[in-house]
Amino acid sequence: MSERGEVLWEVKHLTKIFPGVKALDDVSMQFHRGEIHGLIGENGSGKSTLIKCLSGVYQPEEGDIYHQGKLVHVSSPIAARKMGVATIFQEFSLVPTLSVVENIFLGRLLYKENNRLIDWKKMRNEAEELLDGLDIDIDPSAVVKNLSVAQQQLVEIAKALSIHASLLIMDEPTAALGQSEIERLHLLTRKLRDQGYAIIYISHRLDEMESLVDRVTVLKDGVVTGECGRQEISVSEIVRIMIGSDIENHYPKEHNGTEEVILQAENLTTRQGARHAGFELYKGEVLGFAGLIGSGRTQIARGIFGADSLLEGSLKIDGRKVRIRRPQDAIRAGVAFVTENRKSDGLFMNFHAGPNISVVKLEKLLQAGLLSLKKEESSSREYVHRLKITPTALEKSVRFLSGGNQQKVVIARWLFSQAEIFIMDEPTQGIDVQAKVEVYQLMNRLTAAGKAVILISSDFPELIAMSDRLAIVRDGTITETVPVGNITRKELMEITMGRQNSQKSGRVRS
Amino acid sequence: MKKILKSEIIGPFIAFLVVFLLACISTERFLVLSNLRNLVLQICVTAFLAVGATFVILTGGIDISCGSAVALQTMLFATMIKSWGLSVWAGVVLLVFVGVIMGAFNGFLVSYLKIPAFIATLSSQSMFRGLSYMINNGSALQSLSTDTEKIFYTTVFGLPITLIYIVVFFALAHIFLTYTRSGRKIYAVGGNMEAAQLSGIHVKHTLMLTYSLAGMCTGIAAVLYACRLNSGSQNFGPGMEMSAIAAAVIGGTSMTGGKGKVVATLIGAGTVLIVQNVLNLNSISTAIQQVVNGMMILLAVLLDVWRAPIGRIFGRGIAKAGINRAKEVSN
Repeated sequence: MSERGEVLWEVKHLTKIFPGVKALDDVSMQFHRGEIHGLIGENGSGKSTLIKCLSGVYQPEEGDIYHQGKLVHVSSPIAARKMGVATIFQEFSLVPTLSVVENIFLGRLLYKENNRLIDWKKMRNEAEELLDGLDIDIDPSAVVKNLSVAQQQLVEIAKALSIHASLLIMDEPTAALGQSEIERLHLLTRKLRDQGYAIIYISHRLDEMESLVDRVTVLKDGVVTGECGRQEISVSEIVRIMIGSDIENHYPKEHNGTEEVILQAENLTTRQGARHAGFELYKGEVLGFAGLIGSGRTQIARGIFGADSLLEGSLKIDGRKVRIRRPQDAIRAGVAFVTENRKSDGLFMNFHAGPNISVVKLEKLLQAGLLSLKKEESSSREYVHRLKITPTALEKSVRFLSGGNQQKVVIARWLFSQAEIFIMDEPTQGIDVQAKVEVYQLMNRLTAAGKAVILISSDFPELIAMSDRLAIVRDGTITETVPVGNITRKELMEITMGRQNSQKSGRVRS
Repeated sequence: MKKILKSEIIGPFIAFLVVFLLACISTERFLVLSNLRNLVLQICVTAFLAVGATFVILTGGIDISCGSAVALQTMLFATMIKSWGLSVWAGVVLLVFVGVIMGAFNGFLVSYLKIPAFIATLSSQSMFRGLSYMINNGSALQSLSTDTEKIFYTTVFGLPITLIYIVVFFALAHIFLTYTRSGRKIYAVGGNMEAAQLSGIHVKHTLMLTYSLAGMCTGIAAVLYACRLNSGSQNFGPGMEMSAIAAAVIGGTSMTGGKGKVVATLIGAGTVLIVQNVLNLNSISTAIQQVVNGMMILLAVLLDVWRAPIGRIFGRGIAKAGINRAKEVSN
């Protein structure tokens, strides 16, 4: 075992609270010189919050950050950069219409000494030097939007390192890359490690953890649940730590599945990424869509709902062929879609609960041709009561509600529409445990009433616990459908994240 | 009482009262019957345009073409009567129809061609104004008909008929926005276009409808304008879009869309008009009046911008309470 480098950065007892959730709960970690430190955990486990605290985007409620043993206060992203924290977020920060040079020197252009004109030559030279030093073969004067995603990624890294840095944070850098590009990125990452950077590497892909990183920390619900050094890193070990085993009772699953097909989808293909997806949905069941982020789960759902138009494929509901060209067709056919981002495409922040609920079936409020606000009021009151939504929802804009209450308002909308098929995309994301359980109970009530649920979730324990069957989604299509009883969390994780990848990339270091 | 205090109308109403009081103090010529009568005649055109502006702003858009549209329409109206020999009544019907078409054109640019509303209506502003100069070799048409007086200057039970137009039209607009599906869809599209789409609302149709209705408002406004002056002119209506937008925004219509009431817009129109009226009564030059007009819009938009942070402060209070409650539960 090689000598570990000094501790460059350290966080102690970090706690960060968001409305209704403790995103980080007393997290302590050390980041060593010359070490790639992998950070892994499900969505909402606190990885992003942790790196946002380190890069000055968030201020932790409690806890301290140390740089080379000295207590530092990272008050803003600019302060973080000055202290040597270089962060590459999932969303690129490059300006697509500018050249590589301009992007690298964005916000700190170099000027000639004797006047205030921009010194293009000097910047170009420095950019060239920087790119050469990293073995990146990109023309510095190329316009960023003409580069491939992988090249943009490299420019992003070069830009981050153009200011003297000691800590490099990479948030899912390979999410949008192909296999050979990933290997190229790994090479660069190792090179940077050998140059003495401390690197935090976030990824959902277990095979990367196995082949690239020197140390793995697993986060779950804002708490460090385990850490292992290089010798111990293996997919199965990480999975074991990730799963833990304390939340069994939070899933009040009832089995209501029947043999009666309610929805039959064939060959669904959309421009946005669904590719020949087909499956059958039975009355009273919960069908879980299991797949990685970006595997096309949402795209298939959007295709069913008519949000993305179908290039090919057919849908049968209750044995009758239906044409769904836009969401209103789907709603009329009894399909509901609880979207993943309730804030951006679910809720109307200008409305309180009533209009948010009634919007999908305004005709139910009609009385002599006009909307009856009284009917709206009484029916929304009923849903608020039934779903245990906070009564303030009836008067105040939904903007002011907690995530759980907001989600229940969205679900109430689809109950109001009297849908028979519920597509729920990450329905429990960002809501607290109690609200989660209420959402599960709601799913039980729906299935008990003979309705069917398609559950999309990146939270595998939830997906396995609440589904009757699982449809494995990969590359926009459904590769197989398996009864949930036959599968363990570990197997499911390996099917969707590890198995095929670790075969392809091989176990580089053993 | 509590309900009134909480409603969206109270803020604009207080602003109106303040302006009204200041007007009374600034000159004794304000609060006299002849001036108030004059105000009721004047507010008419602005008020109709302000309803259209409110509709459009509710969807998160803006229409800066309505002043030019009015100019073009008064010219068309004058041509129909003077050159084609149509009756005033037929002209009214046709003009409203023309208004709808012109509005639909804006709507088409915004919804189907996806051009930002400001740019789309900036272009049509120029086009409408230019087209108006192509009529009658660019000169105005005067003394249209004796019937125009009947439309604008009649009194009913001693009240100016324009007041009745306003009351009826605002009542209809209020009913439309509050009690019809289309009205509700306008709010929904302005609140969250993506969510509206996914809630089964045909966003493009809704936008087309909104701009067409705004166009209809310009048609009616043009009729009233032409009848008031018994003429049509290419130079009518400059700056009117500004008054209309100011009325809507001072009335509390949110520039980001989804929030606003036509009744409050009427109060806003009254506020704008009193300010203009007082400046006139005090013989302030038109140059300064334009500056004041611009400042009113800025002030109203600033209030709109500040409304959100104020809301957020309240929101934070509620969120904190939420955490405390969550803590209690978990304990």
